[in-house]
Amino acid sequence: MFLIDRRQMLALAAWSAAATRAWADSPMNPQERELYEAAKREGEITWYTGQYSADASEAAGRAFNERYPGVRCNVVRSTSQVAFQRLSQDFRAGVGQCDVFSSTNGGHYVQLKRQNRLVKFRPVNADGLLPILRRPDPDDYFQSSFLGIYLMGHNTTMVSEAEAPKSWTDILDPKWKDKLAVGHPGYSGAIGLWALQMRTMFGPDYLRRFERNKPQVGRSSIDPVTMMTAGERAVGVAVPSASTLFAASRGNPLKLIYPTEGVIAAMSPSAIPTNAPHPNAAKLFQEFQTGPALSTAVRLLFNESIRPDVPPPEGSRPLDQVTMLAPSLEEADKGVPEVREQWREIFGV
Amino acid sequence: MSDAALPAAQVVRPSRLRRLEPVTFLWIALIAALLVLVAAPILKMVVISFEEQDTGVFTIQNYLTAYGRARYLEALRNSLMLGALSAAISVVIAVPMAWAVSRTDMPGKGFTWATVLAAFIMPPYLGAIGWILLAGPNSGWFNVTWRALTGTTDSLVNVYTFTGMAFVIALHSFPLVFIFVKSALDLISSEMEDAANVLGGGTWVTMRRVTLPLVWPSILGGFILIFLETIALFGTPAIIGIPARINVVTTQLWQFFEDPVRVEVAAAYAIPLLLVTVGLISVQKLMLARKGFVSQTGKGGERRQIRLGPWRWALFGWCLLVALLAVGSPLLVLLQASFAKAWGRGFSFDNLTFRNYEFLLFEHDMAPQAVWNTVWFSGASATIAVVLALLVAYIVVRRLMRFADVLGFLAMAPFVIPGIVMAIGFYAAYAGPPLSLYGSALLIILAFASRFLPIAYASSQAAIRAVHPEMEEAARILGSGRLHAIRKVTAPLLKTSLLGGWLVVFIVASRELSAAIFLVGPRTRTMSVLLYDLTEQGNFEVVSAFGGILLVITLAIVGIGMKLVGRDFMLRRE
Amino acid sequence: MPRLTLSGLTKAYGKLTVVDSVDLTLEEGEFVSLLGPSGCGKTTTLRMIAGFIDPTGGSISVDGAVLSAPGAVVPPERRGMSMIFQSYAIWPNMTVAENVAFGLKLRKLTREEVTRRVGEMLEVVKLDHLAHRYPAELSGGQQQRVALARAIVVKPAVLLLDEPLSNLDANLREEMRFEIRRLHDEFRITTVYVTHDQAEAMATSDRIAVMNAGRIEQVDAPHLLYTRPRTRFVAGFVGRTNLLEAQVSSGMLRVDGIALGPSAQPDGPVLVSLRPQAMTIHEAQPPLPGPVFEASIAERTYLGESWDYVVQPQGSSLRLRAAAAPLEAHEVGRRVWLAIDPRQVSVVQ
Repeated sequence: MFLIDRRQMLALAAWSAAATRAWADSPMNPQERELYEAAKREGEITWYTGQYSADASEAAGRAFNERYPGVRCNVVRSTSQVAFQRLSQDFRAGVGQCDVFSSTNGGHYVQLKRQNRLVKFRPVNADGLLPILRRPDPDDYFQSSFLGIYLMGHNTTMVSEAEAPKSWTDILDPKWKDKLAVGHPGYSGAIGLWALQMRTMFGPDYLRRFERNKPQVGRSSIDPVTMMTAGERAVGVAVPSASTLFAASRGNPLKLIYPTEGVIAAMSPSAIPTNAPHPNAAKLFQEFQTGPALSTAVRLLFNESIRPDVPPPEGSRPLDQVTMLAPSLEEADKGVPEVREQWREIFGV
Repeated sequence: MSDAALPAAQVVRPSRLRRLEPVTFLWIALIAALLVLVAAPILKMVVISFEEQDTGVFTIQNYLTAYGRARYLEALRNSLMLGALSAAISVVIAVPMAWAVSRTDMPGKGFTWATVLAAFIMPPYLGAIGWILLAGPNSGWFNVTWRALTGTTDSLVNVYTFTGMAFVIALHSFPLVFIFVKSALDLISSEMEDAANVLGGGTWVTMRRVTLPLVWPSILGGFILIFLETIALFGTPAIIGIPARINVVTTQLWQFFEDPVRVEVAAAYAIPLLLVTVGLISVQKLMLARKGFVSQTGKGGERRQIRLGPWRWALFGWCLLVALLAVGSPLLVLLQASFAKAWGRGFSFDNLTFRNYEFLLFEHDMAPQAVWNTVWFSGASATIAVVLALLVAYIVVRRLMRFADVLGFLAMAPFVIPGIVMAIGFYAAYAGPPLSLYGSALLIILAFASRFLPIAYASSQAAIRAVHPEMEEAARILGSGRLHAIRKVTAPLLKTSLLGGWLVVFIVASRELSAAIFLVGPRTRTMSVLLYDLTEQGNFEVVSAFGGILLVITLAIVGIGMKLVGRDFMLRRE
Repeated sequence: MPRLTLSGLTKAYGKLTVVDSVDLTLEEGEFVSLLGPSGCGKTTTLRMIAGFIDPTGGSISVDGAVLSAPGAVVPPERRGMSMIFQSYAIWPNMTVAENVAFGLKLRKLTREEVTRRVGEMLEVVKLDHLAHRYPAELSGGQQQRVALARAIVVKPAVLLLDEPLSNLDANLREEMRFEIRRLHDEFRITTVYVTHDQAEAMATSDRIAVMNAGRIEQVDAPHLLYTRPRTRFVAGFVGRTNLLEAQVSSGMLRVDGIALGPSAQPDGPVLVSLRPQAMTIHEAQPPLPGPVFEASIAERTYLGESWDYVVQPQGSSLRLRAAAAPLEAHEVGRRVWLAIDPRQVSVVQ
């Protein structure tokens, strides 16, 4: 699954196999079982996701397939914006292709709910989630499925831990010119959230000053991790903790920076669109996402677990020790498109 | 004449019946096909550019939106400049190579030819990824090496610049110029050069003032082709252009497709681009109108190689340099990354692994499906394009109908439409109700067939032109009907060209990104789109591995092509 | 009943009339050439006979039945004719035997019959040893023979040839000229032969139709055409000639004071054609009937088969071209006697 040396590999393999099997074999609650029977008749479920990385998404898909033989999970991973775009095109064309939609941009859900494009469904497993994640929507049109932590990272060979920036405002210092890398809010929902949060906390001038340091703009929030790994840029801004830890685990010289103001917490939900071609499989997938099987699978790739009964990933700070910043869903729905336009004006792309 | 084989007396048939040979119905079906494939998407796009979203009310607001912002206009300007620069660089790269291979005794012609082919096969976006690894200002291999050698902190080259982008594009576009110019040069008899030599012109003077001017239509044609291709590229501008802060028309169009999808504005934005390309093609046609057509089987006279003496090594050096830059270094760095655990760690034995390939081939959900999609879509669209092109070319070249030229125009029209615009047109016309083809294989196959029809048409046209009409007339006067003559005489003579045309379309279709990205659904992703999606994952190792798989498959097809059709099937005049 | 009749045949492309009211009749077995410079309409006429081009006026009939009329044309495959093209149009993907057999196969003959006839024909054109070769392996002359064999083997009502020898070099041309005439004599096929080469036309034809600017100027047997040209164009086109402005007065034809002989033409100016062969040069006054007068040699050129003299009669500014045998050498400036054969003085329209 990922590349570490043999000893660790074997140990982890044994543990993960045991764990996965444990959760794979763990009993289903009655609603789950009922859905499973119905889903088997449908045969598959298509998952548009921009939340987890490709590896983690594939791992989740595999975990689903193992737990529910006979129902195949089609993982369609892209950035959240692109996933939303595809979903929009589906609706516009009158074609149903997506069963479960997972985006890092909460604003998408506000919009979809407003357009009456979501199915109301509450999985039983949702009650076992972390308290802050239990009820993202009082009307139960969408459920939490992802907790992404976006912070900063640095290449330790290019910048030592002592010299590395400590806060979001630190990176505005001119000494970081040509040393930063960031994603693009037009492609990544998470970057949209970060930009919005920065504007809320530090005013509209933040992005302008940030631009003056000429950060390398990529597309997804993971692009800066690549740039750091390559040695092209020293500091990655608004990078996902999961991907950074993953890259570090492969031997790359990366370290996380927890900004003093706090980290961006993208508590992102998943929802079932009304034009889902496999509605029962979709609901089953929602049970799966809110249940322990998903968290177990994804934490192995350094993603945060969304359940208290599944431990956090190796190398990340426990969530109770970290300040989590996040715009509300309404703020995101309104503010992210605005900040995206602003970004384009400032950066030119 | 006792036993005349055929009675000479015949009843005179009324003219209308005579006109309606059975083939006429075939031709009508052709026109219908062309309308569906070419006319409808373009027309629909023009129409919706004047429509308000969701209501269909007439408005020019879309144009105002599309051109109201300085940023959008700048994107247009960037595209045009990028196109011109890439085309210019391509010409500079390719013309000396073409001249060297066609007319001189430079050594290593086979090697040069292989370089051209390899550069052509490599998809431009893959090259772009390779060049990021090579020429990123801080981490690119070239820059790292340069800094190690010279001790400066500056970078030697920066791929994230306008010039850098144009250069990367040119490195994969120059084969087209090479093919055009070499074909034209091949037809020039040495007598032309001899005449100049006798009058006192040395080799270089002759080349500059006699040989190259003779082929300037081909050079111009290549320049224009690359210009048009460049302004329609999506992959490289997305991968390199965004970090380079260079917005171009294609990435801007993508923005119009963001939520909320504004197809109408996208259409309005794209139309003037259409006009630019139509204008260019018309200008080119006008300039070339006076040139006589030289048949492929024309009597070009004897061709001797020019002896260059020690200078032939200089030319070979040039070809070698191009080979290194266009093929060698990107391929090397991609290969290294594809077999690396972490490519940033460089060459070392403990950095080698097959994991990336394993992951793609056996564990990734979409990768095998994407490969199959690519093969299936490219094959189907190539077949449709070639069959259609052949029939249209036949009508046009043999002037079977009064308005045959309109058919020819329709067949070539997609040429002036950037792929991404074509995709938008197809999306507008067929993705929604009533046909609701969005996300289906059929939509992509049709869009590809339409997009590559001009290539198939140009190749079919050249092929049919090379078959003397008297070949068919000879059959007809002996008693064969037209269709029978085509079957027995023309078609066998066209076999090789047709297959060559099919293969070229297949190869080009298999790397197509700009059009595909708008039309693919989750299950119909092609390799190119999957590769693009993977680049957003930050996992260069897997991206490189997938690129490797893409290359292997393309190479396999090309190899088959060369076996079946001959070594130079891609160098035929298009 | 004549085999082939062209009656008022006209072809116009918009305002440009390419063939202008052509009348021509061929009896069965006749060999007629259409001779003229490029652009005179001969090829268009031929292609109209073949049925590839529709006439805009007039008609074409074979054995009394109309095959072509404006708007009503029997297609080429049903006219029962054969054609030899300028490019030979031998199909490179078929062997010699297959080429020749093509027309026979279309006439639904049995396989044995086809083989027999093909074999016979190839013997006649002396290609039987090359029956299974491909055209690429043949010389120009051999390809020509294949074209001939292919055309003749189907026993066409009319055989059409479109400048078949123009691609061959001089020696081969003579040989093939002879072949074509020989085959014609053997099979007695009605033949229309288009050429711009008068030597070719004269060597092969029973009659020659000289065409100019879409009209037929004169149709006659070759020797008559040569000796009795009826128009200025024919006189100038067929062979070399001296075209002289002469006067008829009181029944006598005079040019520049020299009496050429009696003439039945009414008084007035006329154009006279006098071939170089019509004159002989003598050292002393010859005792010949017909005009004889003193002259001097102005120029001379030796052509191998003959001398080409430019002779200036005494007291005249005329410069006459005269031909003489190789041994009759006269130096420039020499005073000689010129004798004109009155039978070869031709008054041209």
